[in-house]
Amino acid sequence: MVSMKRLAAVAAVSMLGLSACAGTDSGSPAVPGEAKGGDLIASAPVAAAADILPGSTMEKIKQRGELIVGGSLDAPLLSQQNPTTGEVEGFDADMGKALAKYIIGEPKVKIVNSASETREALLGNGTVDVVLQTYTITPERAEQVSFAGPYYSSGLSLAVRKGTTGITKPEDLNGKTVIAGANTPAIPAIKKLAPQAKIVTFGSDPECMQALKQERGDAYVQDETLLVANAQKDSSVQVVGSPFTTDPYGIGLKHGDDQFKKFVNDWLKKIQADGLWQKTWKQSLGTVVQGEAPTPPQIGSVPGS
Amino acid sequence: MSALLDHLPEFWQGLVVTLQLTVASFAGAAVVGLVITAMRVSPVGVLRGIGTAYVETFQNLPLLVLLVLAVFGLPEIGLKADLLVTAMIVIALYEAAYIAEALRSGVNAVSAGQGEAARALGLTFGQSLRHVVLPQALRTVIQPVGNIFIALTMNTSLAAAVGVVDLTAAANRVNLMEAQPIPIFVGAGLAYALIAACAGFVTGRLERRLVVVR
Repeated sequence: MVSMKRLAAVAAVSMLGLSACAGTDSGSPAVPGEAKGGDLIASAPVAAAADILPGSTMEKIKQRGELIVGGSLDAPLLSQQNPTTGEVEGFDADMGKALAKYIIGEPKVKIVNSASETREALLGNGTVDVVLQTYTITPERAEQVSFAGPYYSSGLSLAVRKGTTGITKPEDLNGKTVIAGANTPAIPAIKKLAPQAKIVTFGSDPECMQALKQERGDAYVQDETLLVANAQKDSSVQVVGSPFTTDPYGIGLKHGDDQFKKFVNDWLKKIQADGLWQKTWKQSLGTVVQGEAPTPPQIGSVPGS
Repeated sequence: MSALLDHLPEFWQGLVVTLQLTVASFAGAAVVGLVITAMRVSPVGVLRGIGTAYVETFQNLPLLVLLVLAVFGLPEIGLKADLLVTAMIVIALYEAAYIAEALRSGVNAVSAGQGEAARALGLTFGQSLRHVVLPQALRTVIQPVGNIFIALTMNTSLAAAVGVVDLTAAANRVNLMEAQPIPIFVGAGLAYALIAACAGFVTGRLERRLVVVR
């Protein structure tokens, strides 16, 4: 029954998505939803003309009039397309809009749906200008791409069905079946901390949640923010323990473009100092996490950045 | 290259799962396909109708939709099996529709006189199918069935989307650590190509050996 309802919901949502696409054709799709992201982006800074060096990547983007971002359309709270407005919402999405405004003067962003198997190639061949997609900075990846940031630091946590006992920390997962999102940093993390765990992966967060509830696994390892949001919506699932990893997210840039990297890093410092970073956090991730915005990570503080 | 060579055990594990999926699904698909073909050429109208409905249903639904429905939908009504087993059954049922169509074309290629002669000899429908029609039909469709086998091999990669750690999922996981998509996926692609080439070689040999000279 539930699956039928889900099916109906998916159908309804895709219809809405279609009509939303058709509706925004005549308007200006680049202007973000006035109600929510609008005032945030309105207060975002714009780079001084002197900072847009001639011949640089920034100048190319400005001339094109659009920032091409490699990102997701299905990551709740981070970068998720709102089916009714067609607008992409979340922390990563807002960061992209703010960066576009800083370079171009307007928040004009085109999101190219990238995946972890294509990100390096998309940056390398210039299909996208930047990647904003929970892109954890690692030394291996830093050999392929350059990272500005970290602009956000997150951690993986554990969720179990309510009433599950004996799982409180990652080491408890040895010998258990663990659910993780395909292509998330959870997979290598589980392999490292609980080598005897059996990992099953599913494409999206709702699928992982469904799998957890249908007892396809004993625990679900995912970014803590997402798990907290899930547990709030669904009382049959609970988050246990505290985050056991630190994943510094970076903005992926073409390898070796130091000029652009410095430019983006300067912008990050600027929005962290003037409070825009904190406001963006409050509006997205802060809607499910209690308390004030955390202290933003120090730029260039991790190996690979 | 080292990204590939350092993770050979993972790739090997994935390849074994892909081969299990391929072989089990193909075996299942062949059996179900044969039954469906028999139904479609049978003199009983109801059986023909069921056979047609089966083929139309499975040919007109994308495999990924079937996989997702089976993995997440069936547990809702209390049917839950191991992920690998679920994937094998779904792929087998799906590909059976294609095998049934290939076999039916083979049956149609057997001239009507053969069936009439079988009946004239007093063979029942089952006997004429078993001894006269199907042996000739199967020999004509070796190549198309070989193509379905190759398509099935490639289709098993969709199981990666529902949690089965096959070759594709293994490649994804290695890439997550190494961030070297080009060598990793070229390597995985070569492994699939190797399976397909073997299948092509075997069907080529079989066809030359078993061809019906008319």
